[in-house]
Amino acid sequence: MKTIFLVDDSATILLSISGILTKAGYGVEKANNALEALKKFQAGVKVDLLITDLNMPGMNGIDFIKEVRKLPAYRFLPILFLTTESQQTKKAEAKAAGASGWIVKPATADQLLSTIKLVMR
Amino acid sequence: MDEITSVFVTESREQLEAMEAALLQLEDQPTDADILGAVFRAAHTIKGGAGVIECQFLVAFTHVVESALDKLRNGEIAANADLIALLLACSDHMGHLIGVLESGAAAPDDGLRADGDALLARLQRDWLSAEGAQDATPPVAAPDEALESSGGGAVETDCWHISLRFGPDVLKNGMDPLSFLRYLGTLGRIERLETLADAMPPADEMDPEACYLGFEISFASSADKAAIEQVFDFVRDECVLHILPPRSKLADYIQLMMALPEDNMRLGEILVRIGALTQAELDEGLRAQSAGSENAEEDAVPAPLGEILVEQRVVQPELVEAAVVKQKQVTDKKAAEARLIRIQADKLDRLIDLVGELVIAGAGVNLLASRAGHADLTEATSIVSRLVESIRDSALQLRMVQIGETFNRFNRVVRDVSKELGKDIELVISGGETELDKSVVEKIGDPLMHLVRNAIDHGIEAPEVRVERSKPPRGRLELNAYHDSGSIVIEIVDDGGGLNREKIARKAVERGLIQPGHTLSDQEVYALIFEAGFSTVDQVSNLSGRGVGMDVVKRNIQSLRGRVEVDSHEGRGTRFSIRLPLTLAIIDGFLVDAGSAGYVIPLDMVVECMELEAGGGERNYLNLRGEVLPFIRLRELFEIPGEPPRRENVVVVKSAGQKAGIVVDQLLGEFQTVIKPLGHLFRNLRGIGGSTILGSGEVALILDVQALVQIAARDEERSLSYSPGGRSGVAG
Repeated sequence: MKTIFLVDDSATILLSISGILTKAGYGVEKANNALEALKKFQAGVKVDLLITDLNMPGMNGIDFIKEVRKLPAYRFLPILFLTTESQQTKKAEAKAAGASGWIVKPATADQLLSTIKLVMR
Repeated sequence: MDEITSVFVTESREQLEAMEAALLQLEDQPTDADILGAVFRAAHTIKGGAGVIECQFLVAFTHVVESALDKLRNGEIAANADLIALLLACSDHMGHLIGVLESGAAAPDDGLRADGDALLARLQRDWLSAEGAQDATPPVAAPDEALESSGGGAVETDCWHISLRFGPDVLKNGMDPLSFLRYLGTLGRIERLETLADAMPPADEMDPEACYLGFEISFASSADKAAIEQVFDFVRDECVLHILPPRSKLADYIQLMMALPEDNMRLGEILVRIGALTQAELDEGLRAQSAGSENAEEDAVPAPLGEILVEQRVVQPELVEAAVVKQKQVTDKKAAEARLIRIQADKLDRLIDLVGELVIAGAGVNLLASRAGHADLTEATSIVSRLVESIRDSALQLRMVQIGETFNRFNRVVRDVSKELGKDIELVISGGETELDKSVVEKIGDPLMHLVRNAIDHGIEAPEVRVERSKPPRGRLELNAYHDSGSIVIEIVDDGGGLNREKIARKAVERGLIQPGHTLSDQEVYALIFEAGFSTVDQVSNLSGRGVGMDVVKRNIQSLRGRVEVDSHEGRGTRFSIRLPLTLAIIDGFLVDAGSAGYVIPLDMVVECMELEAGGGERNYLNLRGEVLPFIRLRELFEIPGEPPRRENVVVVKSAGQKAGIVVDQLLGEFQTVIKPLGHLFRNLRGIGGSTILGSGEVALILDVQALVQIAARDEERSLSYSPGGRSGVAG
């Protein structure tokens, strides 16, 4: 089973997305802040995809992505970020940090799953 | 309400509180990036969540607020008092909308909607109008008409032609080129595909982690261009992508070949090979191209290049780094706060209930064990009861929440109310980390609100008056919380005019609350303000002072098994102290009996126990090491029939600094008490705070020590000042 790591400070988003993912047969790991998530990555959590929010208190998503990319085990991990900001700057910044792509919130289950399918090996 | 919605409602309320707190901070530090970020994030999170649960009215409203906050955050507009006031109003409105969602209504009613529209109109007009809120529509892929060109007939093919050159970083960004092709395959059929590795450098120069691949694809699909482009959305910025619709003009293909990095001849061959062009079309196109190159190059070629080629955009690393350092400083603290598990309150309540049952059942086992007189069994059960006690404490701890959140709400209240009254008041909060039972926290909000408003309205004077009285013009209101022997104390302290003793006493006489000429201590006079229908304010303001209130405050607090006291110095200020039990569910009790029934006295309040010396007579006080200790006899108070035993006991209890004795038949020792509330019928009963079930299954009443102490004190006073014998019973 493919495992997706989901990071968002919003409990609503965590709950809804993890619901969709679980129903679609993915394993889901969750964290509500980047630092906690980063700790799990540093500990070598086994995941096939990381989905993270950008705008979070504490460490923001962009720094988080950079930190994850620095870890050798996750150099090629697909990373999607959640955004509602369609501004290119945020996307460019996140891409520069090493993100693979993005999901625009709120996404329907179909949109979410097809995006995941696109980036998942 | 489904689970997601209820999570959303809870979360949004928290976010709104955070937003409000940040907005208030913004008044002092209007340009602080962290605060601006926090405000934005709160609105952003609410909007995100609202989108997920498809609460359109909330999304629509919050979107505009978010746009304004975004501008604020980006420095496009500057925060001033007007904007902050407007945003606060917006956050209130969001609160109302969340209330609508919570109530299950499909949409806000007309009044609320009109309010919202008015707020949005103000935001749009005053803060967003110049630039308009265009960011509502995301930038859409360039429309098809981009491919309009000069000359040449259409190419005979029903397939799209896609030229794709991946950027070197695709793999490093966690993307697999193949997955795009697979995904493209879901939109139609890849007829032919040619892989170009022309960009691949010699082996010794090659970076094995870079991608050098390009593809020429012939693609049959009924999808439109935007949909096909969207497939490559994630790599658009770093790859070269050209999409030619079916039956594009020959010239477009030629332009494409010119735009691509590879050699024209080689590209031409590939196009022919994958069936995009025929050899004849290619030859014709190339000939036309070279012929018209002098003048065509200027207009035709550069335009589509600019159109289609998206230049690589990389943000300057310095900028990002600077932001990182700043973010890191706040990171560590906040992460600690965020390490929480959210669970539903009723699950906790269920657990507490079960623990309560466990405690009762444990008491039953203990009783049996001690009756059996089996030493090992007693030993074992005592271990079990110790564990049960720990479990009880841990379980109750789960319900504990910090009072800080409740306190912080008052920042806004103080700000708004003091503005309204033209006063300048600083709110100082301390002890926000003090924990108490969640249900207590929920219910203490209203009484606190009343006391705070009272302090602002009647307590703290207007700046001019304060200056006259040689006080600083800025008033000070303190909210403190701390633990004190098994209870939590919340204080509301102001440095205002204080209570006017004479005025209160006069009023009390007018209202018939006290007899004229009756001497009362300061404490007693101040306590009169909690009597029903008492108000000394001549002018009724719209905030408080309507004569209802303080008695309600007192009742509310009493219903939480708490009490409120007031202390005041005229001209210097007033201090209200609310003393509350830590929990409403389980307490350590002291079991006594009178007649054949058991009674429980909360252990926190028990000071000592002693035997009542025979011959106390009619007197209702005894000499406790030189101190006068008033007491009451439970037998008399509850009119228990039968003769008292030869030896009676006195439990010395202390409540609010006052000591009193309770005379009982027997002392039965400590007892974990699961509080069962009394029925509605007994709500007005004084002297009894609740009931509990003993290990034997019998019911015992829990004594309301505070009320008993008052009864004892009053009885004693009456018997001294009037005539003996007039003892009050349990008044209904």
